[in-house]
Amino acid sequence: MIDRRTFLQTTALGAIAAAIGARAHAAEPLGIALILPSPNGDVGWSHSLVAGLDPVKAAYGDAVKITIVENIPEGPDADRIMNKAVADGNKVLIAGSFGYQNGAMQIAKRDPSVTVLHASGFMVAPNFSPFAAKYFQGTYLMGMAAAALSKSGKLGSVSAFAIPELITSINAFTLGAQAVNPNIEVSVVWVNSWFDPAKEQEAAKALLAQGCDVIFSNAQDTPSVISVCEEAGVPSFNLNSSMKSYAPKTYLGCVATDWSPFFKASVDAHVAGTFQGANAFLGVADKVVEVVDWSPNVPADLMAKIKEVEATIADGSFSPFTGPITKADGSEGVAAGTTLTDDQIVAMDWHVKGVATPLPQ
Amino acid sequence: MFVLPRLIRRERASARMAVLAPIIAIAAAVTVNLILYLVMGKNPGAVFHAMLLEPFMSWASFSEVLLKTGPLLLIAQGLAIGFRAKVFNIGAEGQFILGAIFASAIPVWFPQATGGWIWPAMLILGAIGGALWAVIPAFWRVRLNANEILVTLMMSLIAAQVLNYLLLGPWKDPKGFNFPQSVMFQYDAMVPILIPGTRVNVSLLIALVSAILAWVFMQKSFRGYQFLVGGLAPRAAAYAGFSEARAIWLSLLIGGFAAGLAGAAEVAGPIGQLQRSISTGYGYAAIIVAYLGGLHPIGIVASSLLMAVLYIGGDNAMVSADLPVAAVRVFQGSLLVFYLAATTFVRYRLDIGHDAKGGTP
Repeated sequence: MIDRRTFLQTTALGAIAAAIGARAHAAEPLGIALILPSPNGDVGWSHSLVAGLDPVKAAYGDAVKITIVENIPEGPDADRIMNKAVADGNKVLIAGSFGYQNGAMQIAKRDPSVTVLHASGFMVAPNFSPFAAKYFQGTYLMGMAAAALSKSGKLGSVSAFAIPELITSINAFTLGAQAVNPNIEVSVVWVNSWFDPAKEQEAAKALLAQGCDVIFSNAQDTPSVISVCEEAGVPSFNLNSSMKSYAPKTYLGCVATDWSPFFKASVDAHVAGTFQGANAFLGVADKVVEVVDWSPNVPADLMAKIKEVEATIADGSFSPFTGPITKADGSEGVAAGTTLTDDQIVAMDWHVKGVATPLPQ
Repeated sequence: MFVLPRLIRRERASARMAVLAPIIAIAAAVTVNLILYLVMGKNPGAVFHAMLLEPFMSWASFSEVLLKTGPLLLIAQGLAIGFRAKVFNIGAEGQFILGAIFASAIPVWFPQATGGWIWPAMLILGAIGGALWAVIPAFWRVRLNANEILVTLMMSLIAAQVLNYLLLGPWKDPKGFNFPQSVMFQYDAMVPILIPGTRVNVSLLIALVSAILAWVFMQKSFRGYQFLVGGLAPRAAAYAGFSEARAIWLSLLIGGFAAGLAGAAEVAGPIGQLQRSISTGYGYAAIIVAYLGGLHPIGIVASSLLMAVLYIGGDNAMVSADLPVAAVRVFQGSLLVFYLAATTFVRYRLDIGHDAKGGTP
């Protein structure tokens, strides 16, 4: 049993220890290291992660020191660089690509004082949180607008890899379009690269040649697809950060990601010592996903409807993946009256009916 | 009339300058980059500390240098034998990839297999795979007189696509959420660690043994002598009855064998699975390593170590000294340019102001 005296003693000791800890903390800035898979450009995935740290910097000032290491290929080099960042005293490690998962998890297990945030993964530990955006919430809204602007009824998507994150984006895009025009069809070109502007542009041109007249640039880090569509006079949209300046005439909008609420909360929790690793699957309600730079060409009445749907997604009363949904092969995907759970969404490996291109097997 | 300066071969290369050339090259590269860092507003002391000293300052970071040395050493030794015979195998990258693929066949097809035979079998399979990939350019060169530089280079591009095909299709990890990577290899499919607490494995020993074998072959064996003559004076070699076809076959097979072995050791070592970014340009870097080492087995041991230090140091500078990745590449590149220039001036002198006939303009 703990009597009153020992309780007082331990709490007093705890308070002193906390005070010392706080002082030591004040003297030594908290090191935050961000490891990026591609160059930190003006737009795109890496850029959105870097921008997400700005509010952390603004809030903590000199109490944090942010180190950004860009263009690190997934593999043994990334493992070493993450180890080096932690050995240098960085206590919060943001691993900005799926392929860093195993190396980052090893660091988290070896050193419990380090907090690891890992992009798009599925592993969780007490000091390790995977994070991903519910892009599908935004692409559903984009699908509604795309269907209204399309004359041919054919939409296209240049997509990086056939992983669940991108599959769900395409599916929700298709479902949103079908909510406006049930006969819409979506064609997909998988370029199998996160960064290959030449191939992405070829893919975009191929989709245009097939008659697609709204294009979804799914996870490209440069305005490769967007600029091809601008030249062709075809509306297009992309993820992560706005590329409106590259397509001033035809830009449809951007399903933007703002990681700052998540990064700020995680750093706050790390500083307070209350960080608890969990799967962070964040969307419109968390202010992580937001559709910005809407095209003025979207009809006003449809825009009002889109805003209504956005509000129901934000308050949780509506999910794009609500049944009945039929799979591309004709079988039942989601039964009427049921909604896919987050766990089902992050593992989605089938296309909805209306996606004309079969999924690569 | 303006006459471009010409290079004239020196009557006799100075032995003293041959030794001094690398030191002058390093000094020149350091000076140029020092100015660059000052212009960029970086602290040059911190950069050089991170780049050139830190790799040696802790056992943990020096072990990473050794880890990086292994594949460079192995591939460069194999290539140098061919380069000496003037057989230019530029496709070690592709042979490396094929080695990785062949080695991965065991853990991918038999993920449950156990036993101490697995990793040696993988290394042998990998070496065979690399050699087989070199059979095609060797055959084409001997039978069809197709330039082996072009064929080996293009075979590397094909190898990368073969890897992509396997990872996107038949060899994809069924539980990997459609990411293009194989299953993680089982314990017995990993090359045993050589130095406890580090990632350095037995393949470093194999690389060192290969250096000794290469030395014996090149300096002590009659066949090595034939190679040398064939490279320096092909017609003399032909008069002496040394077979050119045999030299081509052996050069390419040895190069492919070594590169394949390195690829196998990489997937069965620090990576632990087959994935897209298995090689960060080892096959191409090894060409530079081979020439930096003067195509001499002992020189290559030193140059592979130097190259590894530059890689690790460059990564360190990105993490610790806030240096952008491009500046790291500039340092590495300028070092090689200065070295090649310095070694050129050991054997040649500049002739300014004379036209080709030796008269003044």
